[in-house]
Amino acid sequence: MIKFEKVVKRYNDKDQPAVDELDLHIGKGEICMLVGPSGCGKTTTMKMINKLIKATSGKIYIDGQDIEKVDPIKLRLDIGYVIQDTGLFPHMTIAENIATVPQEKGWDRNKIRNRVDELLELMDLDPENFRDKKPKDLSGGQKQRVGVARALAADPPIMLMDEPFGALDPITRGKLQDEFLRIQEKIGKTIVFVTHDIDEALKMGDKIVVMRDGKVVQFGSPTEILSEPADDFVSELIGGNSNLKMMKLMKCKDIMREIPYVEATTTTEQALKVIKESDVNNLLVTEHGQKLLGYVSIGMLYRNENKIVGDFVRPIGETATPKTTLQDVLSDMFALGRKTIFVSGMKGRVDGIVTMDDLLKAVRDDDQTS
Amino acid sequence: MKTLEFAIERWETILGLTIDHFEIVLTAMVISITMGVLVGIMITYNKTAAKIVLNIANVMMTIPSLALFSILIPLLGIGRAPAIAGLVLYTQLPIIRNVYTGIMNIEPSIIESARGMGLKKSKIMFKVKLPLAFPVIMTGVRTATVMGIGLGAIAAYIGAGGLGQYIFQGINRGNDKMILIGAIMVSVITVVIDRGLAFVQKRFEI
Amino acid sequence: MTKLRDSAIRIQDVILVVLILSIAIGFSYYVINYPQDKIVERFMSYEKIIMAITQHLKIVVISSLMAIGTSVPLGIILTRPKFKKFAPRVLSIVNIGQTIPSLAIVALFVGILGIGINTAILALWIYSLLPILNNTLVGIIGVDKSIIEAAKGMGMQPKRILFKIEVPLALPVMVAGIRTAVTINIGTAIFAAFVGGGGLGDLIIAGNNVNRWQILVLGATLPALMAILSDIAFGIVERKTTI
Repeated sequence: MIKFEKVVKRYNDKDQPAVDELDLHIGKGEICMLVGPSGCGKTTTMKMINKLIKATSGKIYIDGQDIEKVDPIKLRLDIGYVIQDTGLFPHMTIAENIATVPQEKGWDRNKIRNRVDELLELMDLDPENFRDKKPKDLSGGQKQRVGVARALAADPPIMLMDEPFGALDPITRGKLQDEFLRIQEKIGKTIVFVTHDIDEALKMGDKIVVMRDGKVVQFGSPTEILSEPADDFVSELIGGNSNLKMMKLMKCKDIMREIPYVEATTTTEQALKVIKESDVNNLLVTEHGQKLLGYVSIGMLYRNENKIVGDFVRPIGETATPKTTLQDVLSDMFALGRKTIFVSGMKGRVDGIVTMDDLLKAVRDDDQTS
Repeated sequence: MKTLEFAIERWETILGLTIDHFEIVLTAMVISITMGVLVGIMITYNKTAAKIVLNIANVMMTIPSLALFSILIPLLGIGRAPAIAGLVLYTQLPIIRNVYTGIMNIEPSIIESARGMGLKKSKIMFKVKLPLAFPVIMTGVRTATVMGIGLGAIAAYIGAGGLGQYIFQGINRGNDKMILIGAIMVSVITVVIDRGLAFVQKRFEI
Repeated sequence: MTKLRDSAIRIQDVILVVLILSIAIGFSYYVINYPQDKIVERFMSYEKIIMAITQHLKIVVISSLMAIGTSVPLGIILTRPKFKKFAPRVLSIVNIGQTIPSLAIVALFVGILGIGINTAILALWIYSLLPILNNTLVGIIGVDKSIIEAAKGMGMQPKRILFKIEVPLALPVMVAGIRTAVTINIGTAIFAAFVGGGGLGDLIIAGNNVNRWQILVLGATLPALMAILSDIAFGIVERKTTI
């Protein structure tokens, strides 16, 4: 989707180039995080994509087309742009702000109005309430949501985001990050996202580009960066607790194990047999292979000889989703005082199970590979 | 009270001079605002030009108005046209300066996001920069207009007519009533126009 | 400290001052030695020019000093806690006053006091009160509250806070007000000639009456140069007082 080939940016007053022979490939629908200390060239790199900064040499391609040959205005109309200070136009209403690019593109009024409302709803801002407000009437988080909505207005395939959540308090930031990931799942944009916060990069990124002094130090997925930092610089950037950070990244679906089903009429002995053949210590109990009644554990089976499992089945209780992070699962386990947690993607169904041991193993495994 | 009687007796003359005064100032201000805004916009694109233009305009403002009008006499003669020329020259600085600072003081992030969104230079100027700078530009226009009304009185010295004529005639003839009427009329007009423009300005504040 | 003093006077100021003085002297020399006709020759002399300049300066200096002497104390009083509540009202009256044209003020004074140099001086005094008062108020009110808070916290007397902190910090703004006032006064002092107060305005009137451009333009150029000169001088003072 976006390709950098030996791109150099040299500001005339400095010997050291801001960006030095950068090669990079950003795939379609990916969130690519550019991360590094200030002055590392990450913002310059991003701004070269929409030609706000002109590359000194090298080529940048979007969808195979050399952007040098594209008119900057046309190029920018198809690239959403979100910055830290939001850059909302203070003299325009929220609706007018969002409508800017569609208007430039000559959309008709109704289409623009519908699009504005649709985006406000997507951003969890009530259109009735917010449409005619001015930016100064909004909180920091709301402003940034409008900033994102404005960038999305004409449905550009690419979005550039320059520390969009950097000026927000940690709670609002976390909320907006989650929301944005949720939205991205629906819209699937190719996103170049600049941040200096490695935790944000690990949380948001499909790919991470760690930069220093205008060069790429490491390019990889968050788990790759965490488990195999390329050098001391990257390790230091990640900081301590890489195991804990890994738990933030890994999800239940990555480590959960399947659980066998038994009918409620199964005897304890038969159930024990099933459990011993599997690698888990729990069984799901169903009625006529349809309705999920609950579960029985190996301990329960030992305590209830000569019965059928339907007599002592327990309800599933709290579940995690396949997308719950291991960190959240762990804290749920502590909160519930349980060593196992069922994973359920849909109500009334259980996809698998995660145990405390699984968690420890997952983190330790990754640790050993480094 | 005698002055009031005097004024009522000559209300037609006074009204005529007031209209004259308005005409001169209005003509000058239309030219001055057009020129000042254009120059102000142009110099935002070039720092060196901005420095030169603003410095010249600054020195221009320091020159006493009557001196400026007097210097214009050998060049342009006397009458309305040179008076208007003088008014235009003299009222440029507040307009140019406020257009320039109004535009230059806009938060860079706003301009950058406009550029990043793909707005053309002209669109950025008319949709973003000028509307945002409008309150500051209005302040400049207000200052310039208030100056213009006062200067209009002085311009009578080079034959522009208007209320200043009444003042100068009064001084020459030693007629206190004429002086007083002229001075009061000019002051009242100035204050009224100033308040009026201030009101307009308030309404457009973001 | 020396560095600061150096930077307050800029090269372009020096060049401009030299240029202004040469124009003033050169133009006077030209008019006197190459008069356009007998009338100019008979009318113009160095004594006359110098006298006009001295008179002009006298009017400006006296009225400006009077204005500083009244506006600064008045401004300081209006920023004291007791009178602070009046400050905004005074400011808005001052602002309206400043919009009244200078000619109108001078003319109004003739209407009240008759003709003469004193009328001119009083009119200029009233007119230049306003920018100085305005800037004194704005300057002192604009001093960072935390600095005054700190001074209070350290146990400084209100008087010491005023003279050691508020006034020095407000000084550049106050000087800027004086700069405006003096520049305006130099221009307005031309009107003194119309009310029998003398000064460089005499040359303008004479030049116009006899229709000789040399006298007229010299009469107009000299106060213009004087105004630019004073603006430069006060600009230097302003920068020097800026911390």
